[in-house]
Amino acid sequence: MPDSSSSPLLRRRLRQGRDRLATALITAGGIGVIAAVMAIGVFLAVEVLPLFWPDASGESSLSLSSLWLPQPYPGLDEPVYRWQPALPEGDPGPRFSLAPLAWGTLEAAAWALAIAVPLALGAAAHSALFMSRRLRAHLKPTLELMEALPGVVIGFLAGLVLAPWLERHLGLGLTLLLLLPPGVVLGGALWSRLPGRLRQRLPLGWSALWLVPWLLLLWALAAWLAPWLEGWWFGGDLRTWLAAHLGLDYASRNAIIVGMAMGFAVMPTIYALAEDALSGVPKSLGEGALALGATRWQTLWRVVLPAAAPGVFSAVMIGAGRAVGETMIVLIASGNTALMNLNPLDGLRSMAASIAIELPEAAPGGSHYRLLLLAALLLFLFTFLVNTLAEVIRTRLRRRYRRLGDTA
Amino acid sequence: MSWTWRRPGRARLPRGEGPWAWLAAGSISLSLLLLALLLVLLAARGLGHFWPSDVAQLTLSDGRTLAGRAVKQTPLPDSEGEERLYRTGNRDLDGDIWTWVPVADIATEAYPADLVVLERRRWGDFIGRLVAWMPAEGERLEGAAAWEALRARMADHERQREAIARLRDRVLLPLAGELEGRGADPKAARALSEVEARMRAMHEAMAGDLVVMESADGRRIRLPVEEIVRARHPNDMGVGAKLIAWGDGVWRFLSEGPRSGNVEGGVWPAIFGTVLMVMLMSLLVTPFGVLAAVYLNEVAHQGRMTRLVRIGVRNLAGVPSIVYGVFGLGVFVYGLGGRLDQWFFEESLPSPTFGTGGLLWASLTLALLTLPVVIVATEEGLSRIPDRQREGALALGATRLEMLSRVVLPMAAPAMLTGMILAVARAAGEVAPLMLVGVAKLAPQVPLDGDFPFLHLERKFMHLGYHIFDTAFHSNDVQAAMPLVYATALLLVLVILVLNLTAIFLRHHLRSRHGGLSRL
Repeated sequence: MPDSSSSPLLRRRLRQGRDRLATALITAGGIGVIAAVMAIGVFLAVEVLPLFWPDASGESSLSLSSLWLPQPYPGLDEPVYRWQPALPEGDPGPRFSLAPLAWGTLEAAAWALAIAVPLALGAAAHSALFMSRRLRAHLKPTLELMEALPGVVIGFLAGLVLAPWLERHLGLGLTLLLLLPPGVVLGGALWSRLPGRLRQRLPLGWSALWLVPWLLLLWALAAWLAPWLEGWWFGGDLRTWLAAHLGLDYASRNAIIVGMAMGFAVMPTIYALAEDALSGVPKSLGEGALALGATRWQTLWRVVLPAAAPGVFSAVMIGAGRAVGETMIVLIASGNTALMNLNPLDGLRSMAASIAIELPEAAPGGSHYRLLLLAALLLFLFTFLVNTLAEVIRTRLRRRYRRLGDTA
Repeated sequence: MSWTWRRPGRARLPRGEGPWAWLAAGSISLSLLLLALLLVLLAARGLGHFWPSDVAQLTLSDGRTLAGRAVKQTPLPDSEGEERLYRTGNRDLDGDIWTWVPVADIATEAYPADLVVLERRRWGDFIGRLVAWMPAEGERLEGAAAWEALRARMADHERQREAIARLRDRVLLPLAGELEGRGADPKAARALSEVEARMRAMHEAMAGDLVVMESADGRRIRLPVEEIVRARHPNDMGVGAKLIAWGDGVWRFLSEGPRSGNVEGGVWPAIFGTVLMVMLMSLLVTPFGVLAAVYLNEVAHQGRMTRLVRIGVRNLAGVPSIVYGVFGLGVFVYGLGGRLDQWFFEESLPSPTFGTGGLLWASLTLALLTLPVVIVATEEGLSRIPDRQREGALALGATRLEMLSRVVLPMAAPAMLTGMILAVARAAGEVAPLMLVGVAKLAPQVPLDGDFPFLHLERKFMHLGYHIFDTAFHSNDVQAAMPLVYATALLLVLVILVLNLTAIFLRHHLRSRHGGLSRL
């Protein structure tokens, strides 16, 4: 019978045809989706290019040097950096210098890293080497949740709660900064003098939890010490002292506030990646060092950290990428003044915040619009390169660990 | 470190680790402490706002009297002593709702039971005493009888408002839509004007009643009753009654729209906008993300090129969200939207329809932003499925499509779900790109309603995150807006925490199920 012999063949053909079609569709779709995502860079580059083309008069409206070098403006004695896209009427043309924005971006990121990196690396070292397994299993998701906190909430708390608080309690802030590290070390010293039974109740592996009340105690101590310190050292008021002796202005929303808020936001990212790198080091290495009589900290410092250094470095770089691009925190907590100075107590304006504020108002196709797109392109290139470098380092490292693990 | 941490003569375990180990432990406790402080602050301020706390009546040493709720206390500048900030309400009488009082000037402080707090549609709260009830018809009442009459009338108004809203939704709007669709139809037009007249009559029936109120310092004011939303005697309420009032406050925060420049009322449109936008986004992102992941992991030749693409996709997750916003504005809004307007909505130009930020463009932008998240999570799930599963299916004669759709994808389903939830959690908290592609401070119409085509993709929408930003930084009285900002921030954080916890739980579940399986 022709039916019974041809139908399985036909069915097979049909199935194979369908399979080929589906494979082609998946390939086309996959490549399409990936191309669409990658198109971001291309779009930005294409939109930015006309900025540097010569216009009808043969003169390019902007050149690289006008964006990055100080410019002479009428009414000012010497060339300066200015970002003033919209001026009141009667002023000569807008002033476009990207230097203050780049400076603000990097300054904010630098302060954020200055706060996040020590915290994150300390936390990673502690949880990779000292912490009890049970606590670690709970801690990692907790810090992951911290990573997911939206920037607008952190920024709101930084701008409307932390900034006014620090403005009123600048002395307390400084005292805390001075008191907390030695206070924690003192806590450790006291702990090692505790009677053995009590010390077993408070094992080092759980110190992340039982140090919290100790920190609160230190906080109270700092609150008690702060007026005394301010009176004795800074003549009663730290802010007036800063203004008089160092010539530092204090803006309520300043680089330090941004750094604290963004450091808090970036810290979990760096922690997670650095902890992965540290705990990924083959156990045999650390155990060898411990067996030779090293303390756990010596093991970390001399054996584990050198082995994991590229991974830790890539964690810091990914953190830097996040800090450079974070928008809402800087937008809310920085005051958005395009200043270029080294004073950490003054405001700043970052590229991301400028884009968020100015782009909706900029006319599409104009130089202001294209300049903001150039800022976006710079952000894109910077984060993409930094992340790619970090990823390459991490892939290499993972291969190295596998080799080390095999030989052990 | 050369100095040791051992007690002299004791060298047994555990040995001292030196100061650095303690600094490391301290840094992790400090992070936990800060996280806990942040959450507690949000919860306390956000939820505390709805508690009807007692209202104090103060007599000052200079003879002034005022009534209000204490908000905070700070040291006086340049002198000893402290001053306290009271929220005294009565913006229409005083021009301001705040009063600073030096603590030393307070002569007496009392909590009389007859103080009334009225929540009004305009001008914010009124704090004072009820003097008299003056209905449009009927006799003037005073004292406790006036209070009873006011409460009864307000319950009545509540029912009337519900009836009007029902009439508008069920009768008026369909009729108006019908008229628009069919042109002039005398019968429908007559029905419409009848309904409108009925609604006007109901509104008029509500107007006309007045209450005479007296502020703490004795100024009298007449207030129309339809302006009043709630009337309470907070000092006369027990804990149970306050709890009920608190629950009512939380519910109204979640279910009502904002009033008086977003400083009062609720956040319902923002919740609705956030959820709708995120749902649209996950509809867009999940199929495309899974498609790309399946291509990368199952179809593409696993060579150098694929590895590079994989790294590239992974890195796109680290590109700042504002860059995606710029892309969305340039390509979707100005590019695609402008083109769509020229083709289909030429009659309404130059006012743009799709050529301005809107729901569709926002969802598309966020879908692009979260695409790497979905791709990475799905790929991780796919790579956890051992090759013997695929080989078994192929050996039994399945084609690749059948192998994918019957074996591989079902096994990877939890990973896809995890990716989707992570994408939603990320998208719900993003604000910066939305500021460029379609979020609004106040969107009078939600993007979903009974008018054809029901879902209005071109409309602007409200968003919880942007609501926080806007209310906290662009409202006229930031101090008055703070409690609502706290409550909104708490809500957003809770939503995101729940989503992330679900993702963490799913991933954990997935790992324990496929944990033993490896690719080799």
